[in-house]
Amino acid sequence: MKILTKKLLLLSIGFCMLFLCCGEKEDGDMQQERGRRLLIAVIPKGTTHEFWKSIHAGAVKASRELGVEVIWKGPQKEDDRAQQIIVVEDFINRGVDGIVLAPLDDRALCRPVQDAVRESIPVVIIDSGLQGEDYVSFVATDNYKGGVLAAKKMEELLGGKGKIFLIRYQEGSASTTKRENGFLDTLTAEFPNISLLVQDQHTGATTESAFQLAENLLGRFPEVDGIFCPNESSTFGVLRALQESRLAGIVKFVGFDSSPKLVQALQQGHIHALVLQNPLKMGYLGVKQIVYHLRGHEIETLIDTGVYLATRENMDDPDIKALLEPDFSSYLDR
Amino acid sequence: MIKKNIPGLQIREKTRIQHLISWLAPFLGLILVLVIFSLMPEVQDRFLRISNFKSVATQSVIVALGALGMTLIIISGGIDLSAASNIALSSVIVAFAINAGIPPVFAVLCGVLTGGFVGFVNGSLITSLRLVPFIVTLGMLGIARGIAKWTAGNQKIDAPLSWVNELMARHPSPSWLLMAPGVWLMILLAVVMAVVLRYTVFGRHVFAIGSNEATARLCGIRTNRTKIIVYSVSGLFCGLSGVMQFSRLTVGDPTVAIGLELDIIAAVVIGGGSLRGGEGSILGSMIGVFIMAFLRNGSTMMGWPNYIQEIIIGAIIIVAVGLDQLRHRRE
Repeated sequence: MKILTKKLLLLSIGFCMLFLCCGEKEDGDMQQERGRRLLIAVIPKGTTHEFWKSIHAGAVKASRELGVEVIWKGPQKEDDRAQQIIVVEDFINRGVDGIVLAPLDDRALCRPVQDAVRESIPVVIIDSGLQGEDYVSFVATDNYKGGVLAAKKMEELLGGKGKIFLIRYQEGSASTTKRENGFLDTLTAEFPNISLLVQDQHTGATTESAFQLAENLLGRFPEVDGIFCPNESSTFGVLRALQESRLAGIVKFVGFDSSPKLVQALQQGHIHALVLQNPLKMGYLGVKQIVYHLRGHEIETLIDTGVYLATRENMDDPDIKALLEPDFSSYLDR
Repeated sequence: MIKKNIPGLQIREKTRIQHLISWLAPFLGLILVLVIFSLMPEVQDRFLRISNFKSVATQSVIVALGALGMTLIIISGGIDLSAASNIALSSVIVAFAINAGIPPVFAVLCGVLTGGFVGFVNGSLITSLRLVPFIVTLGMLGIARGIAKWTAGNQKIDAPLSWVNELMARHPSPSWLLMAPGVWLMILLAVVMAVVLRYTVFGRHVFAIGSNEATARLCGIRTNRTKIIVYSVSGLFCGLSGVMQFSRLTVGDPTVAIGLELDIIAAVVIGGGSLRGGEGSILGSMIGVFIMAFLRNGSTMMGWPNYIQEIIIGAIIIVAVGLDQLRHRRE
């Protein structure tokens, strides 16, 4: 028993020494550096989707141009509101100079943002909206417009009539809900000959759950003519289901966002159109806005980063190509 | 050499040291985590601030309340996989009730009782059907989550703000409180539970059932009744935890806390609870909760990617339980 205690004690002392040594070595440079560089926390909704990697790349790009330091950290569990609140609080405690936040919930993140403002840490909101007026600027895609664009393309693809699925992403996610609404409103107002077989099924957060949902729906409604999905994970999940049931290319499919797999499917004609945002620009402008604000410049309170439509025909245009296959190897290691 | 002739003394000394070690082991882990982060040059000035400790305490309340109940269950030799779903369900019920115009006090009561009811159902099924707790609560994990989504209509529920949302505010409204009311409640309940487990007949029965249920029954303990109480009380804690979750989110979110039951179980296990039953302590579990909370807090402040903290917590669970096993084998 005594031996065990001794071992434990030695181990812990060893650990302490180790960290002490590391600590002393770095202390000098770090302090100097901290003296002049602004520290910006960028908090995405998750870290595994391609979309967030582009945002990350944009944030890194801005940090290099402006000479600031960026910490990139998402909630521990993808799309977990409670975890994101914890991340914001921890960065307030760290005493960062500014926060760029993509809120998972337009309401639940209000209080943490108020807390930040109370500690005089300004916040820029990107991607999804937040209730209240506590942030200094909002940089986002006009998601509703993206949905409208998708609906118009769907009508064109179907030649004006058909039966379609509107597949929803996740309960309470503001940005995707706006896309779904834009799509739905345009459809009901302008294209009465297109009917909806499904319009209230949510895929949940992962590709896997979207895959399963789509398989079940395709099994039940094999007569479907078109499908719209409001984000990357749902688009990919549904694509997989279409490919598995050999309906890919036959069912007109309009998706949202891009990833290498989706681009490949666009090329093969499995996806007929992708609505694109400009996440690189969003990450870039998010960091730029907060830094300009911190340096005392006037900044715009609302910036639309635009929506674009990629099809097989225009996918080689340099502008669209840059959005479809953003090259951020120079900004991120992986 | 002399000691060998007096076996009684040797044993007494041995048990005293063992007690000390098993009491101190979780503390060592916590202190180690605190020391490591306070030596990191990037965060050391910020990590040790009282305001940071306050927010870690607030962040811990939800897991801690769940862990109070889970400790009870694990000591009794059971497990509750439905804890996190139960938390989500209770938080949705509170939001639903407040939205329906019920005064917040009763809404909170509804939430807590919902949790208690789920626990009661768990306990009743386990004892009446003689099913393994793992299976029953695995089923309940799905049922409670499903009911939560159903109640919320597959949406989150936006409830109007009320005093309930102040329970977990980082800056409590009467400032003399210093910490969020939820944190005080957590401390109070932890003390109460520690006393109940150690000094009441009920508490001793829970240990007896966990050590050897058959013997406990033969000794005249009404094991079924005790187990139902254990699961119900644990359910009440989950309900309260759900109230705190709602307070923090300000919305009733049926998808909240997915996978949180594993955090809760990990906290109890790190704190010395044995999945074979008969062992565990409230103090240990609370320390387990704080070890994980400080790790998360420190890693975030350092800006470490999430996978690092997931790996560290995983390693800690194995090391903590491994050391515990080692200790047992030597006995």
